[in-house]
Amino acid sequence: MTSTDPVPAGLARTGAAGPPDPDAVLAEIGSMIALILEEYAAGLPEITRETRLGEDLELESIDLVTLSGHLAERYGERANLAQFVAGLDPDAIIALTVGDLVDHIVAARTSVAGE
Amino acid sequence: MAMVRAGGLRHHVERLAPEGVSRRPPVVVFLHGAFIDTLASFYFTLAPAFAAHGRATVMYDLRGHGRTERPGSGYRVEDFTTDLVALLDALGLTEPVHLVGNSFGGTLAFDFAVHHPDRVASVTAVEACPVNPGWADAMAGALHRATETLPEDQALAWFTEQYGTVSSTRTGDPAHDARIARLGRNAGRLIKATTIARDLPRSRRPPAHRLASLACPVLLINGEHGLVAAEAAYLTTALPRCRRVVVPGHKHSVLVEAPAEVSRVTLAWLDEHAPARPAAGAPDAALARLAPGASGVRPARPATGSGR
Repeated sequence: MTSTDPVPAGLARTGAAGPPDPDAVLAEIGSMIALILEEYAAGLPEITRETRLGEDLELESIDLVTLSGHLAERYGERANLAQFVAGLDPDAIIALTVGDLVDHIVAARTSVAGE
Repeated sequence: MAMVRAGGLRHHVERLAPEGVSRRPPVVVFLHGAFIDTLASFYFTLAPAFAAHGRATVMYDLRGHGRTERPGSGYRVEDFTTDLVALLDALGLTEPVHLVGNSFGGTLAFDFAVHHPDRVASVTAVEACPVNPGWADAMAGALHRATETLPEDQALAWFTEQYGTVSSTRTGDPAHDARIARLGRNAGRLIKATTIARDLPRSRRPPAHRLASLACPVLLINGEHGLVAAEAAYLTTALPRCRRVVVPGHKHSVLVEAPAEVSRVTLAWLDEHAPARPAAGAPDAALARLAPGASGVRPARPATGSGR
């Protein structure tokens, strides 16, 4: 990530140098998850910070690899999940909540903005 | 996510580019296990650490698994080897690569190394052995039990129990068992839609003299209570350049349940045989294909950043 990377449109409203808006990130992650689940998305519960990736959404670890790619494309490489969850066992990874991901994105973008 | 067409199949490939990029970083190709496994088992365990230590990492979903295409037939180990040849060609990886295989992925690594020795720099086999009669019988027996003799709901319960016997962290937690049940349903779909249950036990066996003349170094990593202790003991005497490391307290699922230890052991061993080279000179063509920004390649960490 370099300072010349464009700030994604959804994040620009808080200012390029400021932290991203967690609510906007939450909405975007919800869209990404719906994209991954495709036809299963219709029966999804409303996605909130408390929604669990495994138990509530039935995402599998390979789905999280896909989500990691979407996050990196949208928010920059620092947002990819490989390092974020490295060291967690499979149960811990699948027990993550959407809120955990939002916090990760906000922290990653805040870190970039502060550089 | 990058989809790479190779050998007539669309393969899901993920790569983490090396940090401290050298001119020609060693390339490590990760091979996951059969039925319930995908490249995610490496993406969230070994690959980030390998990239951080200067290795170019390549992960892909084997045929029928994960996001890779699922042809109806062609599931002997030699079919997976043919796929790997095609994939390396498609990625332009013509120099010998380091293979790290888990369970069936290790079995595949041995088959590939025996039949394409000039393309392999080393083999790391986690809880794995080459195809042998015992392996084939055990595989056939388990598959027969799972697919022929039990009704679907009981088969799933049986699968969950079997998984418990190879996992050292299974707690009985309902969320854990729910995850295992999802894996079991995936495996069931693969078995139902393809000839894998018939094909895998009929895989070719490497001739003993070919194994005995395997020139590349081999690292065996086993859980203390794993599934292939006898085969591993045999391999340490049969292979010319073989080291074995046993991870205490662990079972067959040692990769995902002790990833830090498996990573540490493997990287230390690789450092002996293929040290990551410090950056020097301009990147060559092979590196350019694996560099951050190349199609489908993402850095494990930002190319520039806090300097961690």
